[in-house]
Amino acid sequence: MPATMNPSTSRIQVRPSTEREGRKDYISIRDYGFWYGQKKALDAISLDIPERQVVAFIGPSGCGKSTLLRNLNRMNDLVDGISHEGNITINGRSIYDPGLEVISLRRRVGMVFQKSNPFPKSVYENVVFALRVMGVRDRSTLDEACETSLRKAALWDEVKDRLQDSALGLSGGQMQRLCIARAIANRPEILLMDEPCSALDPIATGKIEELIHELKEQFTIVIVTHSMQQAARVSDRTAFFYLGKQIEYDTTEKIFMNPSQAQTEAYISGRFG
Amino acid sequence: METSDKNPAPAAAPESRFTVSPMTLAADRWMGRLIRVGGVGVVLAVFGMLAFLIVQVFPLFIGATVAPISALTVPATAMGFGEDEYGEVPFVVLADGSLVFQRSKDGTKALDWAPSLGNRRVSSVKTYPRTGLVFLGLSDGTVMEVRVSYRSTFDAAGKRTIEPSVAALEPVAIGKPGLPCLDVWNAKGSLSRLLLVRQEDNGKPLLTAVRLTERKGLGGKARVVVSDPFVVAADAPSISQILLPSTAESLIVVGKSGEVRAYADDGANFSFLQSFVPFKESRDPAVASAGLIFGNVSVVFVGRDGSQQVWSMYPQLQPDGKSLRRWGKIHDGEVLAGAGEGVYAAEGNKCYLAVAGGRLQLRNMTTGTLRWEGEAPAGSIRQVAFSGNYDRFTALSADGKLHRWSIEDHHPESSWGAFFGKIWYEGATGPDYTWQSSSGSDEFEAKYSMMPLIYGTAKGTFFALLFALPIALTAAIYVSQFLRPEYRNVVKPVMEIMASLPSVVLGFLAGLWLAPLVDPRLISIFCAVGILAPAALFAGFLWSALPQPVRRQVKPGMEFVWLLPFLALCAYFAWQAGPAVEAMFFTVKDSVSGLPIADFREWWRQTTGETYDSRNSLVVGFVMGFAVIPIVFTIAEDSLSNVPNSLISGSLALGASRWQTVWSVVVPTAISGIVSAIMIGFGRAIGETMIVVMATGNTAVMETNPFSGMRTLSANIAVELPEAALGHTHYRALFLGACCLFLLTFVINTLAEILRQRLRERYKVV
Repeated sequence: MPATMNPSTSRIQVRPSTEREGRKDYISIRDYGFWYGQKKALDAISLDIPERQVVAFIGPSGCGKSTLLRNLNRMNDLVDGISHEGNITINGRSIYDPGLEVISLRRRVGMVFQKSNPFPKSVYENVVFALRVMGVRDRSTLDEACETSLRKAALWDEVKDRLQDSALGLSGGQMQRLCIARAIANRPEILLMDEPCSALDPIATGKIEELIHELKEQFTIVIVTHSMQQAARVSDRTAFFYLGKQIEYDTTEKIFMNPSQAQTEAYISGRFG
Repeated sequence: METSDKNPAPAAAPESRFTVSPMTLAADRWMGRLIRVGGVGVVLAVFGMLAFLIVQVFPLFIGATVAPISALTVPATAMGFGEDEYGEVPFVVLADGSLVFQRSKDGTKALDWAPSLGNRRVSSVKTYPRTGLVFLGLSDGTVMEVRVSYRSTFDAAGKRTIEPSVAALEPVAIGKPGLPCLDVWNAKGSLSRLLLVRQEDNGKPLLTAVRLTERKGLGGKARVVVSDPFVVAADAPSISQILLPSTAESLIVVGKSGEVRAYADDGANFSFLQSFVPFKESRDPAVASAGLIFGNVSVVFVGRDGSQQVWSMYPQLQPDGKSLRRWGKIHDGEVLAGAGEGVYAAEGNKCYLAVAGGRLQLRNMTTGTLRWEGEAPAGSIRQVAFSGNYDRFTALSADGKLHRWSIEDHHPESSWGAFFGKIWYEGATGPDYTWQSSSGSDEFEAKYSMMPLIYGTAKGTFFALLFALPIALTAAIYVSQFLRPEYRNVVKPVMEIMASLPSVVLGFLAGLWLAPLVDPRLISIFCAVGILAPAALFAGFLWSALPQPVRRQVKPGMEFVWLLPFLALCAYFAWQAGPAVEAMFFTVKDSVSGLPIADFREWWRQTTGETYDSRNSLVVGFVMGFAVIPIVFTIAEDSLSNVPNSLISGSLALGASRWQTVWSVVVPTAISGIVSAIMIGFGRAIGETMIVVMATGNTAVMETNPFSGMRTLSANIAVELPEAALGHTHYRALFLGACCLFLLTFVINTLAEILRQRLRERYKVV
């Protein structure tokens, strides 16, 4: 334990990193820079995300962690005047590959947003939405996918009797879990989570975190969070960003217990940010 | 705030805190009241309008009020009567031909007059109460005409005194000499006057007539030329009643057996036209009484059992294929209180008084409605006369009483059936919904059916929405979801400016510029419509087939730069190809020259048998669409733009394409706003007036034909209200049209609002 450790950091429990089979550079970001118009939002990011692990992006507001996350499935494409340098590859293939349809990229890279955004449809239709837009018509496939996804999202028992009710009648935590169920229904490889618990109470947050643990058996998860405790609890690896720069990226244990950069330490100990 | 001004340094006085100024509170309170007044005011205004409409329309649906005024005792031998315009000094004609004038106020005699007949005596009396003409049929077959005239004088106090005077003309020889005249009829034709007498020759009826022609000499002195007497309707086996229209154009002889023989004036004599038995299916086919209705083209027949029929002249297909005006039954089914004793037509409208079974019934011939019913006075009714303005009628009873009734019936021609039902009007070939509120003739039967107008309204709205909704809604989706914001910021204000185009300008353009432009190139326009939509889809397909690197050259939302020239090219091609398509499919033989011509209009007329007007529903729909598009577009675009970005991102993140996102997330979420947009567009189209007035023929026809015009409820009001007499049935019928429009809009808007609330509940966004 480093001597600089202060009491606030010591309260953070770090889950021991679990090493899993799979590519170490499943998502590979190389010298990645990104501009909104003239404003550089990301600068020289280089990091590898191993397969079926949870990686947390932390950093103060405006540090570019969400921008990076949203670039992983090219959700920023709709923003005007964007440009980038460097490259991001997923399983060896660049996401900017001209032959790659952005739609098929997004089908492989699911996303859960900060604010739960269920569609004004029934619970069932929300979950099977991705399958429907992929053209799945078979009812039994849809039913099965719906149940599987809801079970994985630990929501099945709560909503199984009201699948045809509007999703907007669910509670906040249920809605967010529904969004997770929706994101995993078409079995993506990667799940991006943009502060998924920021609008939830501690109990709902706990459930989502449990869920993340279970989901990483099957998905590679990238999570952006403002809560250091959450990053420590759920992630295997953590990247700390500051002002669009990648300050430190290492195992969560290392980042929280023994950060190599002073800025990282200052941030996780709550001295700024 | 005042408080903060007074305490610039609150730190110095920590006990004094910032408080809300009384001004703010008062303003808040007053604004609350103002808003409440505004809201309640709107509701009151709407209900006030409805109440006003109902007040205007209500009198249409109340019956007549008839009340007896007085009963004047006259000599019991009175055979007929007449009266002045005010009914103040009526006269009766006694069986001996003498006239007795009495003041109706107190019964005092005003004048006694007796004809000087020499050795002849009066064998029959005929009076025409409205004109003051009295005809005395004399025992030697001659007829003496007596003219009654009234002169009004006013004294210094302005009191009116009416003095009658009587002038007798020399008897005219008409009938077979030596035989007494049993009845006399007088009618004023267009060229000459006709006098007709009935005599009996050895038990056989004999009708003889003369024509009296007035020749004006050089000195201005009129000279009456009497034609030689001629026998009329010699083939009639028996005569129970004769109806001679005041125009003398025709003659109807009702036989004792119930056979009716109709004759028509052929210039010299009356030639036989047709014969019919109105009650031939009845056990007793005899006609109890018959009466000509004002206008002289309809006759009411009442049978012995009180059943009633109306016959009128209208074009009928003859066995030889020609269509000729013949008598035919137009109304049937009403049963009066008993055997008809008399049918007396009102002056100036289609009402008549039927005396049957001891009851008086005031009926309207057109609508078949009973306006009023009352007890008939004791003693059989000899004659009934209506006043010229239908505010009074007088009846002479056989017991020597002259009864007078006042009528209050402002809308005799109105009824639910007249406004909403099919009615067989005089001269028409069948019952129909017709709107024709006025004509050059006073004898005209006003036709106030709302149905053609409601139909026209629905038709105009349909075509307008058919054109406007697809364009406006797809444009709203495109602009809100696909177009780049910098272009959206231009398109939207431009559309809003379009919404402020006055519809009279649009109507003007439609009628004077667009319709003549569209008319010869109709097929080109159809081609353009038929080609553009598939072309746009095809362009989309081509686009999606292009390799990704090529597509990436075009920014998302800028695709239209490539699409527009392509579509313009397609439109140009369609425009140029139009005549060729027309020549290929729509070549017909010209009805005039017999040569084949490529003309869709002629093809349409010949193929469907329908009309083709150049100011037709399509043109109206097209231009009305222009009035509707901006409104629908603006509101729909707003509601589509208001769909939260989080939902769109959520859908895109799930791998949905932009189109899938729009279709399955954006549109359902914005659906309540889209329904609102459609409803407001509908409201605009249904109430649109000036475009319809200016760009259609305003013909109130009920045709599905898209190439005919229409008349809408609102256009009808705009066109006719300036000419409608205040308080007249026509005027109120226009308000009834307004009422229909109000209710139509109200019902449809309410239904749409319920639908919208449901949708909003279903697709509400947290």
